[in-house]
Amino acid sequence: MEFFIRHKAIVTLVSSFLFFTVSLSVQSSTFTLSVEGLGSLFLMPFQKGYNFVQKGAQVMWAGFTELDDLRAELNQAHLKLQEYEAATEDFTEIKCENERLRSLLGLKEQVVYKSVAAQIISKDPDNWFRTIVINKGSSDGIRINMPVVAFTGEQKAVVGKVIEVRGSISRVQPLISPTMKVGVRLQGSRYPGLMEGYSLNSGLCVVDYINKSALLNKGDHVITSGQGGIFPPGLLVGTIEETLVLESSAFKQAIVRPVIDYNHVEELFVILKIPDLDLIELIERH
Amino acid sequence: MNVSYIFTAIILIVSLVMQGHSSFDVLRIGGVKPDIAFIAVIYYSYSFGSFYGEVTALVSGFFHDSMSNAPLGLLTLPKVIVAFAVGLMGRAVMKTNILTIIPLVFGASVLKGVISLLLCMIFHEAGFADIAYIILPESFYNALLAIPLFLVFDKIYENELGREGNY
Repeated sequence: MEFFIRHKAIVTLVSSFLFFTVSLSVQSSTFTLSVEGLGSLFLMPFQKGYNFVQKGAQVMWAGFTELDDLRAELNQAHLKLQEYEAATEDFTEIKCENERLRSLLGLKEQVVYKSVAAQIISKDPDNWFRTIVINKGSSDGIRINMPVVAFTGEQKAVVGKVIEVRGSISRVQPLISPTMKVGVRLQGSRYPGLMEGYSLNSGLCVVDYINKSALLNKGDHVITSGQGGIFPPGLLVGTIEETLVLESSAFKQAIVRPVIDYNHVEELFVILKIPDLDLIELIERH
Repeated sequence: MNVSYIFTAIILIVSLVMQGHSSFDVLRIGGVKPDIAFIAVIYYSYSFGSFYGEVTALVSGFFHDSMSNAPLGLLTLPKVIVAFAVGLMGRAVMKTNILTIIPLVFGASVLKGVISLLLCMIFHEAGFADIAYIILPESFYNALLAIPLFLVFDKIYENELGREGNY
């Protein structure tokens, strides 16, 4: 016993090494997940409290400093509203025409999904992971693998997908994560590709398996293809930054900058689209 | 010493919650943010020895893993190893000034980064590019931020340091 007390630093080091090596080897076991869950449960009130205080201070500060900006934005919003009201008539006409043509061509009607607005409570505190925790969970109808979008200006774009759900919170994996894979399509040329995170802190993604005959230009939009069972088709993902043509590969690659800036996004929308579990399982198995 | 335990717990929880909040992203430089909880661990290890540093590293690492998407141990184990190493050359060996704090925290951050990279490569996903994208920028950032933080911690733990003859 005296040996352990005298060499407590070395004993702690060795026992920590052994324990965490085993824990990392069985990382998806019930034990490690529930231990992490307990830690998360302990910290959650502090996180929510800090979020509440920070948001309150932000709102108070904005009350003092942003009054003039708000007035200008309100005027702009009024003008935009008038424009949109004028455009509604044209839109209704186009929608009717679109529905008529779809029925003539025998195409299935596009599904419109409901969504739940959520606020970011916290992000990964380290630089090795980039997940986001939001304040909505299973009690709000959120399930694993539901798509998450956000607005930047007037554009709606993909943020990522839900990877963990608890009662009142969920964890979102962003597009820039290297473990995230999304089926995409080039909006102009309609060529498909597979997108994944480029590197942890680059904030970029890479689209692979693009046909070599596809013409790619900087600034071209990339949208979701709807294949893969998670994301509905046609959601904006990002814009092409650079094209890579490798002699050794039969395909082109494109470096894509996501439309959503993960450092500044605050409000997200979870699309309540039930994921196609059979398809996801089939894809993950390969 | 009880008061210092409470201070330590408060510092660790506050730094982790701050780091995890979206407003902390404004501090990102070159895509990385500093690890305040880790700087605190180095301070405890440097000032009070390996064992105190290891225990702090275990507690902070456990909560860090819980808040993050990391599997249990991926962020804790590197901290414990670094806390042990830093504790071996504490205040008794290296006197506190800018010339010792910066290399100490930089070296410790690089060591933590390399161990994290190896663990990520074995148990998760990572590449050698992360040395340039994460490890080096974070180490520089930690080293610079350590100077004011060490001064603040010295003030908080003035009595404890005086008792151990280090102040």
